[in-house]
Amino acid sequence: MALTFFRGIKTCPLIHFPSAYFARKNGYFYCSMGSTNTQFATQEKQQSADLKTSQKTHKKSADKLLKDYEAVIGIETHVQLHTLTKAFCSCPYSYGAQPNTSICPVCMGLPGALPVLNSKVIEYAVKVGLALNCKLSLNSKFDRKQYFYPDLPKGYQISQFDVPIASGGCIDVDLPVEFGGGHRKFGITRVHMEEDAGKLLHTGNGNYSQVDLNRAGVPLLEIVSEPDMRTGIEAAEYAAELQRLVRYLGVSNGNMQEGSLRCDVNISIRPTGQQEFGTKVEIKNLNSFSSVSRAIDFEISRQVLLHSQGQADQIVQETRLWEEGAQKTITMRKKEGLSDYRYFPEPDLPGVALTEEYVDSIRDSLPELPETKRRRYEKMGLSMQDVLFLTNDLNVAEFFDATIGKGADIKLAANWIMGDIAAYMKNEKLSINEIKLTPQELGDLIASIKGGTISGKIGKEILFELVAKGGTVQGLIKDKDLVQIVDLSEIEKMVDKVLADNPEQLEKYRGGKTRLQGYFAGQVMKESKGKANPKLLNQILLEKLNAKG
Amino acid sequence: MGSRAFMVFLTHRGSSINPISNVSHLFLKKTPVQYKNQRTQKYFSTKAKSSLEPPNLPRLAETARISLTPDEVEEFAPKIRQVVDWFGQLQAIDLENVEPAIRADTEGDNMRDDLPQNFQNREAIITALPSYEEPYIKVPKVLNKE
Repeated sequence: MALTFFRGIKTCPLIHFPSAYFARKNGYFYCSMGSTNTQFATQEKQQSADLKTSQKTHKKSADKLLKDYEAVIGIETHVQLHTLTKAFCSCPYSYGAQPNTSICPVCMGLPGALPVLNSKVIEYAVKVGLALNCKLSLNSKFDRKQYFYPDLPKGYQISQFDVPIASGGCIDVDLPVEFGGGHRKFGITRVHMEEDAGKLLHTGNGNYSQVDLNRAGVPLLEIVSEPDMRTGIEAAEYAAELQRLVRYLGVSNGNMQEGSLRCDVNISIRPTGQQEFGTKVEIKNLNSFSSVSRAIDFEISRQVLLHSQGQADQIVQETRLWEEGAQKTITMRKKEGLSDYRYFPEPDLPGVALTEEYVDSIRDSLPELPETKRRRYEKMGLSMQDVLFLTNDLNVAEFFDATIGKGADIKLAANWIMGDIAAYMKNEKLSINEIKLTPQELGDLIASIKGGTISGKIGKEILFELVAKGGTVQGLIKDKDLVQIVDLSEIEKMVDKVLADNPEQLEKYRGGKTRLQGYFAGQVMKESKGKANPKLLNQILLEKLNAKG
Repeated sequence: MGSRAFMVFLTHRGSSINPISNVSHLFLKKTPVQYKNQRTQKYFSTKAKSSLEPPNLPRLAETARISLTPDEVEEFAPKIRQVVDWFGQLQAIDLENVEPAIRADTEGDNMRDDLPQNFQNREAIITALPSYEEPYIKVPKVLNKE
């Protein structure tokens, strides 16, 4: 069956570049992952160029095909909680530690060892549950999920089965402006606590695998969405919003590359208008938002194609892997009926009881969440593009908030942060907390320009100094004698000097070559070492240039 | 439901080490704790069955990853059926007006603070591993969970 399927792909030009139908969408991550912006943009350009030549004739029919179907997408996300210790024992966890160093009888599943729950796990689960607008179970419990695999020393995973700690919530998402924008609300089915398994490495040669059990027992939250998403962009933005949420809450670093945030996508397609769901396929191995988006778009194309060719029966319930290199999904394993995990209540742990007071105290301690922040920035008059940029990274948002807290102009503060400061951070590969500029000084800089103490050009120079070396705006202005020259007689003197030094140009100007005004303005500015107030400079210059004699 | 309840015991930690002693263990230890387990188990099940299916021993052994000889199967089958029948008796209890217990009651929360502490005798754990090659534990090559 697999063979016929692949032959099917080869003979059908449509599916050669299935993701290319969505080439436009590949540029997405500029909002969520600013640093890869240019890289994606170039890729996109190349891809669409390739497309135009090879796919021109097919694109139209493919687009038409896709319109007849609707994709139904749900996402299961595992978030690793950044507690200091594991969920049920005091072993410390740190990513990248020497393998098998952080282990003890509890996480190794040795006989007689008993788990004791880390109270932070409950705290973080409640935070996430509340932030996702879920209903909390005041009484829940842990269950054993049995399966045999070498990354799981106990032979079972401690998880939650029929009574998850939180359920029935939702999350608000703003789609990136480049993709038409728009606001979406996606349902959250449930949030439950569980422990992570160890890490398995399959070495190239040799008939053995290697196991590192440092990660075994590390606390996770599994967040299951309702099947509410319809496109790769929506799914990727949902995942990006979860990342922002856990980072804002401070419960996880949300780092996809380290595996602290892992997304498994469930996807099926159905003819538009049909109520029943199609056969769903699970995609794993998605370790970036762009791979979430691209894997889904590939999978939609693959399934639509099979459907439209009357081969819908070849869409089987299975787990597929996203291959980043080949930009396609491949079969990992077919499901042979439902696995029998033989869940039962974990006898070694007591139930989890939450009091109303406890939940209320956590609700009161919740920080401003991404969605609330976006709405607030929007109300302040910022464009959606600005809003999404500033709220994407909590540290940037806090820097911005602190800057306007010092009374800085809102739009100007946003512009400086998104422009020169973001460019500097990108070039130097620094985060906003690592640069030497403080919100106080940015506020001062904006005020100094607005108040006319320094020119915008000088402001820019000072900014780079502040960002790289620190210091204060007032200090730099004083040290470098950068105060803008607003003294009319002083500017007049400089204009006179420049006119006297350039008799030829002056003659040409007066002969009708008025374009030379710019040249003179530049010379005067140079003479003033950039400090002359441009408005006054031009005013005086014009007067003098046009004065006969 | 019956076989599920049985799995509770069969897959209980350590059972795969010595299934025989563990299974026989079951018959001796009818403590109140097990009654409680049965009640939570009921809460768990999706549909209530009045009579329990007889256990499928080869299947049970497979899910617990233990191998039994035909002789052993013959020996254990009636004993295990006895246990299952015993659960069948419990099934008959009328729980109509009893609120399901999610967990057995315990005193207090029994949680710990998030304070790291390294286990001091890691060497002993490493030494006891069947196959270890610094710094990894070696296991037979596995690529698929099923």
